[in-house]
Amino acid sequence: MTSAAANHTGTVFIVDDDASFLRSVSRLLSAVGYTVQTFESAQDFLNRVTPEMSGCVVADLQMPGMNGLELQQAVKHSTNPLPVIFLTGQGDIPTTVIAMRGGAVDFLVKRAPKEELLAAVERAFERGTKERQQRNRLQNLRGRFDELSKRELEVLERVVQGWMNKQIAADLNIIERTVKLHRTNLTRKLGVQSVAELTRLAGEAGLFKSYKDSPSHQPH
Amino acid sequence: MIFNEGKDVPGNIILEQAVRTEMLKLVTNRIEFSPEYLDASHFSDKEHFRVFQDYLGRKYAAQKLDLIVVFPSRDYRLAGDLPSAMFPGVPVVFVAVNEMEVPEAIQKFGVTGIVQRFDLRGTLGLIMRLQPDTRRIVVIGGTNEVDRATLGRIIEASRALEGVEFEFWTNRPVGETPRAVKSLPEGTVVLISTVVNDASGQTYYMSQLAQMLAPSSSVPVYVLGGWVIGSGAVGGAVVDSEDLGARTAQLAVRVLNGANPKEVPIEVATKGTPMVDWRALQRWNIKQNRLPANSIVRYRPRSIWEEHQALILFVGAVLLAQAITIAALLVQLRQRRRAEMEIQRQRMELAHVARVSTLGQLASALTHELNQPLGAILRNAEAAEIFLQRDQPNLEEIRAILADIRRDDRRAGDVIDRMKTLFKRRNLVSSRLDLRNLVEDTVVLARPDAEARQMQISVQVPPQLPAVSGDRVHLQQVLLNLILNGMDAMNATPKPERRLTVRASETKDGNVLVAVSDCGTGIVPEEIVRIFEPFFTTKPDGMGMGLAISRTIIQAHGGEIRATNNALGGATFAFTLPRLDPEKPENAGLPETA
Repeated sequence: MTSAAANHTGTVFIVDDDASFLRSVSRLLSAVGYTVQTFESAQDFLNRVTPEMSGCVVADLQMPGMNGLELQQAVKHSTNPLPVIFLTGQGDIPTTVIAMRGGAVDFLVKRAPKEELLAAVERAFERGTKERQQRNRLQNLRGRFDELSKRELEVLERVVQGWMNKQIAADLNIIERTVKLHRTNLTRKLGVQSVAELTRLAGEAGLFKSYKDSPSHQPH
Repeated sequence: MIFNEGKDVPGNIILEQAVRTEMLKLVTNRIEFSPEYLDASHFSDKEHFRVFQDYLGRKYAAQKLDLIVVFPSRDYRLAGDLPSAMFPGVPVVFVAVNEMEVPEAIQKFGVTGIVQRFDLRGTLGLIMRLQPDTRRIVVIGGTNEVDRATLGRIIEASRALEGVEFEFWTNRPVGETPRAVKSLPEGTVVLISTVVNDASGQTYYMSQLAQMLAPSSSVPVYVLGGWVIGSGAVGGAVVDSEDLGARTAQLAVRVLNGANPKEVPIEVATKGTPMVDWRALQRWNIKQNRLPANSIVRYRPRSIWEEHQALILFVGAVLLAQAITIAALLVQLRQRRRAEMEIQRQRMELAHVARVSTLGQLASALTHELNQPLGAILRNAEAAEIFLQRDQPNLEEIRAILADIRRDDRRAGDVIDRMKTLFKRRNLVSSRLDLRNLVEDTVVLARPDAEARQMQISVQVPPQLPAVSGDRVHLQQVLLNLILNGMDAMNATPKPERRLTVRASETKDGNVLVAVSDCGTGIVPEEIVRIFEPFFTTKPDGMGMGLAISRTIIQAHGGEIRATNNALGGATFAFTLPRLDPEKPENAGLPETA
């Protein structure tokens, strides 16, 4: 009975202005094994959310004050962009579209069967975990790129675009041996073996995008 | 005018009157009539005649006579010898009713006239027609030469009748006859002829005879002269004295105008007029439909209709006009009442439609309102199932869950109840209202929608308000309509300013005012006057009925509704309700609609 939830360490954050509903959802999710935290308004949640929290948000769409869609936007742009599941008394199509475009994991009516709700929470947790890992990796990656010196970054930029050492040297007005030295240093710092791997990491970290479309710098 | 008889002969009186009347009608000049009476029945000697002649001669010696009209009866000397001797050159016209032959010599004197014979054939015919079973006719007659002449003609006429026996009572004194006619057998009738002299030498006028015999007779009595009718006789084909007089007058006027009497032949008429006494017909039970078509019926009592025809017609017309007017007014009243009822019914219908459509606007919000408790119930039930599957179920928790389920069920029920009353089709039903409660219940309906639209509704109702009575559902509809309008007006208002206020207060004159203020766009000033008109709307998908219906409802409550723009933006719609008069029954304020 607690099969799905037992594996998770995350928390379900439930936001709903209706105390009774809040309590009932909290009961169900607790019963199946989730850790649950309840908030009576969107503002209440935003005030108490921390970057360390993991899990997902289950929010009512229609709430006085800040409504569900506004909460979604606030969470998305916060330091902890947790996945959001919407529960609604009555969902009209425009609202649903906005919610899904905004990145909602799911959009459920309040009287949806338990299985749908649990599946949605499960999906949200998976997505949350994945996104968190990705975020961590990216953060780690960016940390490694941050260790590169300015000259190393300049060399890297050109390497990624497939320039020869000779060309890089000429472009940066340094000798070819120095270019090779920089390349050795930066591959060590980033922990990569091949140019292909280097290119993938740079792309993943979102570096040098502006150069991709400027072939004028490229000889031949 | 010279009369053979005395002044008092009934036939002559009528005849004379008829002559005078007709002459005055025909002649425009003034006519002076001088009647003179020989009274020959009483004074028949020659000396008397001479004295009378002498008297006339002296009396009129200095007079210029234009015409002499003679009523000679049997003595034609009055028409011939006397005037020619006394008043030579004065034209003479006579009229005689008898059976005597006119002396041929008379016309030589320059005399003309009319002789009317009794219509004996006609009278006998009438008798047989009215009483076909007649077997015997008793004729009362006299012994005089005139009487004998009349009897002769009766015998002559009787020859045409077969199977009818004639009996002539001429030899017995007339004084004995009244007793004799009392016991005449059925199938007999009495016909009165002339009795100038009876067997005892007495003179009887025909009308006298009729009066003596008819009332006591055991059988019907018939007569020969029109003037006799009315004395108890049934009637006869009679000499109509009025008609005869008129004809005589016409002849006299012709002569006055210059016609030479010598050249105008003496007219002898025998045709009588069938004439009966209505009372006698009744007495002898003779059917009127047996009468000849040209008959004259005398003494028929005039019906009320105949007596007062004009008055009856007038009164009838007035009554009819009155009845028509009343009927028309009733019909009009009925039609108006029906039309009013129809309008009322349609208003209610429209109010219902508007209410349902208002609720339609709230449907999404109300669905949310319903799904909230229903969702909670579902989640609680699911949680309870899980708890119950544990080895040691937490009964405290389950009890709490059941309590929550119960509470949420009630919540859902309340939402349904609130909507249900508004969905019902109904007439105005007035009752005492708790206005505070009404405002709060209405706001509760609108609140989910308001929340979805990020609007705030605040309610300001003082605890002490004058009591009002009214139809709760209809007033709720008005208030809901105003609230939703206010909310619609604030769609473009920045979110923090989306505030709607519902206030209730007591007015200066002690009534209750309910006002809904928004912070929306306000009303274009030119449109404030039209805003309550039907089909006036500022909303792209509006019907324009909401405010019109609201006004109808408020007016039906004896209140009024108006719209104003707020000084600081937005609009206020306010309606008043008259305070409940404790003296009156509670539903007195509303018109009857059922």
